[in-house]
Amino acid sequence: MSSIINAIKSILHSMLQLFWFGKKTITNSLSIYIKTSGGSTISVDLDPTWDIKNVKEIVAPKLGLEPEEVKIIFAGKELGDNITISECDLGQKSILHAVKIKSRPKLPQPRHSLIDEDEEQGSKPLCETLRDTMFSNEDGSRNSANAEDDSSSTKVDKKVHFYVFCPTCKALKHGKLRVRCHFCKSGAFTVHSDPQNWNDVLIPKQITGLCENSPELCANLLDNLEPTFAEFYFKCSEHTSLGEQDQAVPLYLIRPNLSNVPCLACADVSDPVFVFPCPEGHVTCLDCFRQYCITKLNERQFWQHPELGYTLACPAGCVDSFIKEIHHFRLLTDNQYAQYQRFGTEEFVLRSGGVLCPQPGCGMGILVDDPDCMKITCINGCGYVFCRNCLQGYHIGECDSVEDGLKNSGSGGCYSVDPARVADARWDEASKVAIKVLTKPCPKCRTPTERDGGCMHMICTRAGCGFHWCWVCQTDWTRDCMGSHWFG
Amino acid sequence: MANIAAQRIKREFKEVIKSEEVAKCAIKVELVNDSYTELKGEIAGPPDTPYEGGTFVLEIKVPETYPFNPPKVRFMTKIWHPNISSVTGAICLDILKDQWAAAMTLRTVLLSLQALLSAAEPDDPQDAVVAKQYRENLEMFQITARHWTNVYAGGPHVNSDCDDKIRRLVDMGIEEHQARAALSSYNWDLERATEQLFS
Repeated sequence: MSSIINAIKSILHSMLQLFWFGKKTITNSLSIYIKTSGGSTISVDLDPTWDIKNVKEIVAPKLGLEPEEVKIIFAGKELGDNITISECDLGQKSILHAVKIKSRPKLPQPRHSLIDEDEEQGSKPLCETLRDTMFSNEDGSRNSANAEDDSSSTKVDKKVHFYVFCPTCKALKHGKLRVRCHFCKSGAFTVHSDPQNWNDVLIPKQITGLCENSPELCANLLDNLEPTFAEFYFKCSEHTSLGEQDQAVPLYLIRPNLSNVPCLACADVSDPVFVFPCPEGHVTCLDCFRQYCITKLNERQFWQHPELGYTLACPAGCVDSFIKEIHHFRLLTDNQYAQYQRFGTEEFVLRSGGVLCPQPGCGMGILVDDPDCMKITCINGCGYVFCRNCLQGYHIGECDSVEDGLKNSGSGGCYSVDPARVADARWDEASKVAIKVLTKPCPKCRTPTERDGGCMHMICTRAGCGFHWCWVCQTDWTRDCMGSHWFG
Repeated sequence: MANIAAQRIKREFKEVIKSEEVAKCAIKVELVNDSYTELKGEIAGPPDTPYEGGTFVLEIKVPETYPFNPPKVRFMTKIWHPNISSVTGAICLDILKDQWAAAMTLRTVLLSLQALLSAAEPDDPQDAVVAKQYRENLEMFQITARHWTNVYAGGPHVNSDCDDKIRRLVDMGIEEHQARAALSSYNWDLERATEQLFS
C-alpha cells in the first residue's frame, strides 16, 4: 500500500517541479542555504548541472527582485552566470550569499589577479581558481609564472588540495578554503585578489576585499582608516556542513607531493607528504612523521617552545625548523595525542617553576606562586601534602636522605592508614630503590639517568636540558674526565 | 621491528653495496640476521695511518626507532685509537649520539668512522691510556697502533720487537692479549708491564 502511495507522491512531486522550474528536473540534488543581505536564510535544492543564472532565477523572486538585480557570492568571489553548480565545490548544506546589486559595481581596481581573463565569463569560486603549485612553495615570486604555465597547459591539478584537521571527523581530511569579512565575519565578501601563498592565507590582513554585507558598517567601524580585509578559514570537505561555526584547522605543512620528493626517513615517494618548515623544506611521508613523533614523544624529546608550545623540529636537525601549528600532532592516535598533551602540560608546569604531585597515579601539576613555600598541597588532585624539596610527605626541618625516608615510611607516622595504599607504597618504594641503584641524577636538572653502556660522557636527554656531564664525577664533563676516565 | 626502520635499512644496504667506496673496498656491510636489526660493517684502515692495511669489523645494531635514533655501533676488531675503547670497542662519536640526524645513513656512519681513524683528535674526548700515549709519545702510539692492526685487523707485520716482548710474557703464563694490553699501556716497557701483571 504505502509503496504505491509513495510512488504516486513522487510522481506528483516531480510533476510539480517540472511545473515550477520549466524543463529542469532534479537528479541528485544539493541542499543549499542561501543567505540574503537582509539576514534571512532560504533553503533550496539545486541540481549540480544548473548554472548560476538558474540559481538567480530561483532566488530573485523570493527576495522580490529581478534575476538581473542579484549577485551570488561564494568563497570570496561573485559567481558568473555561466558557472555550473558542480564547478563550485559546493557540499551539502553549503551557504551561498545573495546580494542585491546596488548600482552596477564599479569593480575596485584589482591587483593583478589570475582570474582576470575569466572575468568576462564570470568568475569561479576562489577555491577553484587556486592551484596546488601556488601553495607548494612559500615564495610568492615564483608562483605567478607557474600558474600561467598551468593555465596554458593541461588543467590536471587545477584544484588546490588543502589538508585540515577536522574536529568533527577527528581526522585528517581534505579541506575547503572559505572567505569572510575580517570585521563582521559575513561570508558575503569578495576578494580583490587571490592569495598567492600560505602566508596570504594564514597571516591576517593580507588580502583586501569588499564586504557586501554592510560595507557602510564595516567602513564606519574602521573610520575608513584601512581597507576591509578578507579572513580565510577552512572547512572539512568530507562531511555535511554543520553551519558557519563548523571550521577545520589547516594543516599547512601537509602538502600534495607534486614533484615526487622521496621521504627523508623511508625514501618512499608518497602523497601527501609532510614538509618541515626548515629552509631546505625536508620531506617525510605521513607514516614516518607519525613514527618520528612517537619516537620523540616516548623519549620526551619534544621541545617546550616559549611561544609555540610543545613541539618538534626537522628530523634532519635543521635550525629554526619548529612546527608552529601544533594541530599537526593530531595525526597521532587519540591515545598518543593525549600523551602528547600530558607531557606538554607537565613540561610547562616544570618550566614555570611548578611541581608535579609525586603520589603514584596522581601527577597533578601544581604552580606555586611563592618560591620559598616548601609545603605543597595537591589541590584539585589527590590532596597529598608534600615537601617541595624532597617530594616526600611534608615535614618540618631538613629533608631526610632517601635511605632515611625509606625507613621512616616503613615504620610509622601513619595518620592516613589505608591498607591498599600501604601496599602500593611499598611497591613504589621498591621501584624507588631500583631507580636509586641504577641511576644518577643529571647534575643540572636532577632527572634520574641510567647509563646503559658506552663511555662516561653523559648528555642529559631531557628536552631543554642537554647538560654534558661525567658519570664518574657527577659534574660538568671536562678535559680531565676525557683524559683520565673517559671509558671508565 | 618497526616497518620504517627495516625498510630504510634495506634501502641503505643497497646504497652501500652500490657505492663507489665499496668498489674501492673501503667500506662494506653484511647482514647478520634476516630482520635487518643487526648488521656487520667493515671499514678499511685509511692509507698513511697506522691502520693502513687492516680491516676493521663493526657491530651495527639498528634500533626500532631508526632512523630517528642513531644505530648502535662498536668495533668488534680490537683497535688502538684515542677515540675508541681498547677494551670494549665503544666509540664516542657525536653523530652516533646527540648529533645524529635522520638524514644520515649507514654509509655516512661508516665513512665518518673511517675519517675518525685518519684523524684522531687529541683535543677531543679520549680513551685514558691511549690518549696519554698519543699526546706524550706519538711515535710509541703509532708503533702500538700498527702492531694491533697487524695482530687483530690483518695488517702488515712491522715490528718483531713487540712480538718478542709478548712472547716472553706469554712464556711466564700470561694470556697473550692481556700481555699485549699491558705492554701497550706501558709504552712496551717489559719491566713495568710485568710488575703490573703480577701485582
